[in-house]
Amino acid sequence: MKRFEHFNAKTIDEAILLLEKYDGEAKVIAGGTDLIRVLKDDILPKYPKAIINLKTIANLEYIKEENGVLKIGSLTRLSDVASSSLIKTKYNLLSEACRSVGTPQIRNMGTIGGNLCQDVQCWYYRASKSLGKVFHCLRKGGNVCYAVSGDNRFHSIFGGKGCVAVCPSDVAIALTALDALVKTKGPLGERVFPVSELYKDAALNLGRSEIVTEIQVPEPPPEARQIWIKFRLRNSLDFAIVSVAVMLTLEEGVCKDVRIALGGVAPTPKRLKEVEDFLKGNYINSETAEKAGKMAVAKAFPLSHNAYKIPITESLVKRVILMAKDHRTLT
Amino acid sequence: MDEGKNDLINGARMRMQKIKLTINGKLYELILGYEVQPWHTLAFTLREKLGLTGTKIGCDRGECGACTVLMDGRPILSCLTLTVECDGKNIETIEGLLNSKTGKLHPIQEAFIESGAFQCGFCTPGMIMSAKALLQRNPNPTLEEIREAMSGNLCRCTGYIPIFNAIMKAAEKMRGMT
Ligand SMILES: Cc1cc2nc3c(=O)[nH]c(=O)nc-3n(C[C@@H](O)[C@@H](O)[C@H](O)COP(=O)(O)OP(=O)(O)OC[C@H]3O[C@@H](n4cnc5c(N)ncnc54)[C@H](O)[C@@H]3O)c2cc1C
Ligand code: FES
Ligand code: FES
Repeated sequence: MKRFEHFNAKTIDEAILLLEKYDGEAKVIAGGTDLIRVLKDDILPKYPKAIINLKTIANLEYIKEENGVLKIGSLTRLSDVASSSLIKTKYNLLSEACRSVGTPQIRNMGTIGGNLCQDVQCWYYRASKSLGKVFHCLRKGGNVCYAVSGDNRFHSIFGGKGCVAVCPSDVAIALTALDALVKTKGPLGERVFPVSELYKDAALNLGRSEIVTEIQVPEPPPEARQIWIKFRLRNSLDFAIVSVAVMLTLEEGVCKDVRIALGGVAPTPKRLKEVEDFLKGNYINSETAEKAGKMAVAKAFPLSHNAYKIPITESLVKRVILMAKDHRTLT
Repeated sequence: MDEGKNDLINGARMRMQKIKLTINGKLYELILGYEVQPWHTLAFTLREKLGLTGTKIGCDRGECGACTVLMDGRPILSCLTLTVECDGKNIETIEGLLNSKTGKLHPIQEAFIESGAFQCGFCTPGMIMSAKALLQRNPNPTLEEIREAMSGNLCRCTGYIPIFNAIMKAAEKMRGMT
């Protein structure tokens, strides 16, 4: 790694002040599982002058419930989120999504805030001098997305505003189906907004000196059934090729409420509002589930190398709905 | 000797920031800016500064688990950890497993040898550290629990089965000891 200055922030405000002082030339570090790789490969257009450690800030690691809202401090480790009995019982979707991230070691280090803010995995973006080639792509201030005309087998099947890299975070997909919010703090104060809005066109929707401080999840109705499926080639380590998070509430076989989010297929977590509207008020059976799968991909337009994701998405959507209906889980 | 000069040096020494690491029960104090730089990883410090070369670096990118050590009892990747961020932490590496009083190998190490759980051996220190953390929290794991606990450690040689067998065997040995 090239050199940088290192600061242990004591408070959120101190971290923000340092970020301001370095004016875009500093990065915060949480678990470091993504950032250290980014620094080793030296892929950022500007190598940061300073790294600001958030782990030294007191009170950013917690899991608690307050007035029907689950609150998770942004520095809470994924293994702690996954193993929390509160989260397992009431927010199992989140627990399962965290458990499916990377490897046990990555989950022992990686934080929930860092998971949401990690960089995309696109191999053009990640290519580095040490690997022999650098692509000055849209995300780096260039004007082309090399994946559009290149090897895009792991990219979006729902387009993108320029950049077609997919949202890499598993946690973001589960949190989208749970209607969760993120809380941030920056020089202008605090903001609270839906997790899915953290992602926009080729960047994170965060100010230069803004830090994610908390995740807030409204309590799902106790009868809601939650399922997480992550399709990948190896059952460990791999990022999602397609993932689906569903939360389904039934009343005598009829869908009372449903939320479905897709991962691995678009630059942001993708809520399937049209499919949800179709399912609400309908009986859930293999016909409606199949129709839901078809609707989920009706508007997909694959790139040259990733049409294979369409049938996978279609069948996973059908499968999660039926699994939720039958109270089945993956073992 | 000149008292004033001594004070100056002592003062400078006091101001020098030290990174304190407990590694295998022994306290190490590393001077920041001299023995440790902010961009040094724990894997680098262990191997290149402290001579603890039992910990291996495979990918150096978080993907193989060869560099696994325990930090406060949990398996972590030393290739993705900055040494400056380990101040005050308790680190365990493969070197700490040998019983220094009896000179005997740890039961997990014995079981790995008896089960033929390595060929080239490059993944072994990381494997054993992940296994140690598992058996500390779960002395009687099922095969499925072993597979999950070991799912961050890649092996190119053994096909994993002898490794899982070794951990089963180690668990038995360790249960017999208490
Ligand atoms: C081998 C491997 C496999 C992986 N597999 C998966 C996977 O399957 N699914 C998945 O989702 N992820 C995966 N990851 C990505 C993994 O890095 C994240 O899951 C992890 O949670 C990141 O958290 P962190 O705390 O380590 O982030 P860091 O590396 O510390 O930070 C990541 C980025 O977020 C920024 N950041 C961190 N915290 C904050 C904050 N509070 N506010 C604002 N910005 C912040 C940092 O500046 C940095 O740019 C994998 C990583 C590896 C190495
Ligand atoms: S060397 Fe650290 S994970 Fe491969
Ligand atoms: S024994 Fe060679 S990599 Fe595992």
